[in-house]
Order: sequence, then structure tokens, then C-alpha cells
Amino acid sequence: MTNTLAAEVAPDLAEVAADAPRPAPPTIEVRDLTMGYGDRQVLRGVDFEVRAGEVFCLLGPNGAGKTTTVEILEGFRQRTGGTVRVLGVDPAAQPARLRERIGIVLQECGFPRQARVAELIDIWRAYYPNPLPLADLLALVELTEDRNAQVRRLSGGQRRRLDLALALAGNPDLIFLDEPTTGFDPESRRRCWAAIENLRTLGKTIVLTTHYLDEAERLADRLAILQGGRIQVAGTVRQVARQAACDTRITFTAPRRLRDGSLLPPDGLDVVVSGDSATCVTCHTASALRELLAWAHVNGLGDLDDLSVENPTLEDAYLQLVSEREAQ
Amino acid sequence: MSGLNRTISLAARQALLEQRSFWRSAEYALFTFALPLALLLLIGSTTATGDLPHTHVEGQMVFVPSIIAFGVIVAAYVNLGAKLATLRHDGVLKRIRTTPMSATAYLSGVLGSTAATAIAITACVAVIGALAFGATPRASGLPEIIGGLVLGVACFGSLGMALSSVARSAESASPIANASYLPLAIMSGLFDPAFSVPHWLSAAVGVFPVRALAQILEHGYTPAAHAPLTDLFVLLAWTAAGCAFATWRFRWH
Repeated sequence: MTNTLAAEVAPDLAEVAADAPRPAPPTIEVRDLTMGYGDRQVLRGVDFEVRAGEVFCLLGPNGAGKTTTVEILEGFRQRTGGTVRVLGVDPAAQPARLRERIGIVLQECGFPRQARVAELIDIWRAYYPNPLPLADLLALVELTEDRNAQVRRLSGGQRRRLDLALALAGNPDLIFLDEPTTGFDPESRRRCWAAIENLRTLGKTIVLTTHYLDEAERLADRLAILQGGRIQVAGTVRQVARQAACDTRITFTAPRRLRDGSLLPPDGLDVVVSGDSATCVTCHTASALRELLAWAHVNGLGDLDDLSVENPTLEDAYLQLVSEREAQ
Repeated sequence: MSGLNRTISLAARQALLEQRSFWRSAEYALFTFALPLALLLLIGSTTATGDLPHTHVEGQMVFVPSIIAFGVIVAAYVNLGAKLATLRHDGVLKRIRTTPMSATAYLSGVLGSTAATAIAITACVAVIGALAFGATPRASGLPEIIGGLVLGVACFGSLGMALSSVARSAESASPIANASYLPLAIMSGLFDPAFSVPHWLSAAVGVFPVRALAQILEHGYTPAAHAPLTDLFVLLAWTAAGCAFATWRFRWH
């Protein structure tokens, strides 16, 4: 989604969104959710909440129960136990009422093969009491030029955008996106991310499941990692990274004297020299930096060349958490 | 808009979309029509003119309505069953379930499109039957023709819906449909007006809706044919059974 298009569409969308009463937060509330199939316990007491207007991302390895959790929230599955409220409604009790206010992008879901783009979006609009205008939906997902194309002739990226248009047809307050960019090329992914960010600016609440950690890092206001049927960690990206106790990496070009061993690194810092570069891994970024710069100054090294500080990424945190739990 | 009005208008829109989609796949539409029409011409050109053996009924008054029955069965049972199985396999039905669209409105729309196809086939067969073989319905036989079509679509449509739920994959729906109705169609004499079977087999075939539908339509063409009251009950019973099974077992994914 380009910015110009977003700007064109945004006023209308914002108007419609403002008309709908904002649900009292939290939008989703899950307490001690359990789910079992026969003897197999898939969810063992899941707790989290999603606040109005945020992008919430559910992460976890395959088979962790992400899809099961989302399907319970959408009213497709009956839970075994626990409390669930979505937009103030129990999805198990009133799925029909809930569906007027939510939009769902399912994983790998087909279209009627011979339908055309615009006519399909149009009939989807007819299913909902307060749909968005057709032109806005087409513009939002950049399918205006393909409006008369038959669905079976669309590319993978176009189909995924049509998925999104259908999910948005009813002007939902809450949108579920199940792996929305799987199989996208980098350009299509960025477009999809821009579209999702645009939805957030319109006040929509978004629940996203994904395999891509950079996607979660880029989009999520808050996230939760689901593993072994429980939420292992939840919070903002930074909180999650910190909880995983990941260390910061400080790198710089190793001065010649450090490389040939005639100068030792500062005491108490774990500095590893490899080729031209030196890397210091630490939990205390600020003091380690101070110490390094003082050491460089005292030894006449000047400013350290190519000095950079890398915070732990979500990917580092995720991999560490998941491997820790698997080891247990 | 009241709930019922909304359901009807949504079903009509859905039917329109389905019907447009049907005609867009030209090959599929062509052969859906070509099969009954080809059979009509083939049977018409190989059946001797005049009364059928041991009766006062002209051959064309039997084979034309028989082919109409065949067309209705192909459209409502085989095509609908395969179509629903494909929609389920592709995830379209699951996608419909994510919306507030009611199951009744959606399925009525799909069935409505099926009915339109069945009526179009009927019209083609009837017109060619009249022009090429001189078979025209009796003026007083219209209730049988119209009632037979409505009940035929309802009965085979509900059975098609049930079939789509029995088939484990989209690919198996068509073979299951063909294997279940074709033997009955042959035993019922749909493709040969002079066909005769032993008494016990005829009684067995009479329990099924294929011959029942054909005989109701035949009665619309010639009063000398079998009076269709029993056939009416057979069709109604199968419609009820089909609806009950489809309601019980219909799956959205």
C-alpha cells in the first residue's frame, strides 16, 4: 500500500470507524483457556488480553496451538475450559453476532474460481450490515486495476490482498490475520505491512499470527509466545527480548595491537577478536561502552572505528526461549 | 429490511453470482448441456416411430420426458454434489462461515442457481424434442411438468448436498454420483423407452427417485403413461431423507 493511496482512502474509513461505538477495552480477554482433543491437551491454561486499537501478535513453533487459539476466538471451535470474551461477547455462545464485527483472513483459503474481483468483494459487502464502499476496499488493497479479473488468474500476492479486502468488507472492529504474508516476495510483504499499519491508524484491533519474527517486530504493539499449550512470555517486543535475557553485542574494528596480542582488552569485559573485528557481549550496555571508550582513550586508540551496538532482536529472544523450553 | 426479505434477497444475489460463474466456465457449461442433448438425438434417431410394443404410447412421448429427468438429475445431483465438494475442498465454504451470511441464504442461492441450470436444460430438451420428434406436453399435463421439475430439483438437490458430505474428497464426488444414479437410470429405462426388466427388479427400481421423476414428467406428455401418485410419494420421501441427511452431516470444512 503506498502512502498516497492510504491518504486517499483514510478519510472515508476514519469517518465510518468513528461512527461505530468503540468497545470498552480489552477487546479480547482470555483466561485459563484449555482445549483438548481426546487425550491430547493442546492448550493448558492460556491467559492474555488484547487492547483496543493495538496490533497483537501470537508467535510460536508449529503445533504450539496458535491456530487452535485463534479459531476459538473466532467462534469456530468450542473450548474445553476457561473464559473467553471477544468484543464483549462469548464467541462460543454468539458466533453469528460476533461475525458482523470481525474480519478473518484464514490461512490457505480458496475463492470461487470463476468469480471476478469486484463482484466477489461486492457480494461479500452484502453479507454485512455496515460494509465499506467497494472503491475504498479496492484501493486499500491495490486491486482497483484488477477489479474485472477472474480470481483464478490472480497472482499469489494479489490473492492474499483479495483475502484482506474480503476480511475488511464489513468494516470490522477486530481483524484476525493468520500468516498474512506467507509466500510473499519482499515487495509484496512491505505492501501488506503498510496496509496493516494503515488499519491500525484507523483504530482497528488486529490479531496476527506469523512465522516471521521480523514481521512481528515491525508490526506488533505487543506479542505473546505460545509454546507447549501455554503463553511463555508476553509484552512489547523490548519486554520480550529482555525477558529472554539476551545480551547486547558491541562490535568495532580491532586495533592492530589488540589483534597481535600486545594490548589486552579491558578487565571484566568479554571481548572476542575474530579477524578484523572485535565483539563484546554484555548485559550492561552503557557501562561496557564507557569502559571500552576509556580503555581506548588511555591506550591512545582514539575513537574505536566502526563502533556499533546491536540490541537483541526478537529473533534472538525467540530462538533462545524456544530452545530453552524444548531442552526442559 | 425484515429477516426473511433479507434472506431472500441475499439468496437471489448469491444465485446470480453462481449462475454467472457457471456460464463463465464455458466448457463446463457446454458439456453439461451437451450430454442430455446428445442422448436425446441419439435415442430419438434410433427409436422406431410409432407406438411402443404392447402399448398405445408413442416412443417420443416417453424418451423426451425421460431425458428431461436425466438433465435434472445431472444438474441437481451430479453437478451440485461435485460443486459443493469442490467449494468445500477449496475452503470457500469455510470462508463463507467467517461472515454473518446465513447458511440458509447461501445454500438457497447455490440451489437456486442449480434450479436455473436444470430449467435451462429442460427448455432445450423440450424444444428440440418438439421440433425434431414432435413430442409436445399435454396442455393439461403442465402441473405434472412444473411440479415434477420443482420436486425433482428439490429431491436431487438435497441428495446432491448429502452426497457432497459423504464424499471424502472433491475428486471422488463425481464418480460417486455417477455410480449411484447411472445404473438406476439404465434400469429405469431412461435411455430406452422399450426397455423392460423382470418384475422384482422393476419393483426395486420403483423405490428410487430416478424412475419416479421420469414417470411424473411422462405423465405430463401422455396420459396413457403410469399414473404418478406413488411416484410423487417416492420423490417426497427421498427429498425428506436427503434434507435430513444433509442437515445432519453437512460440513463447512
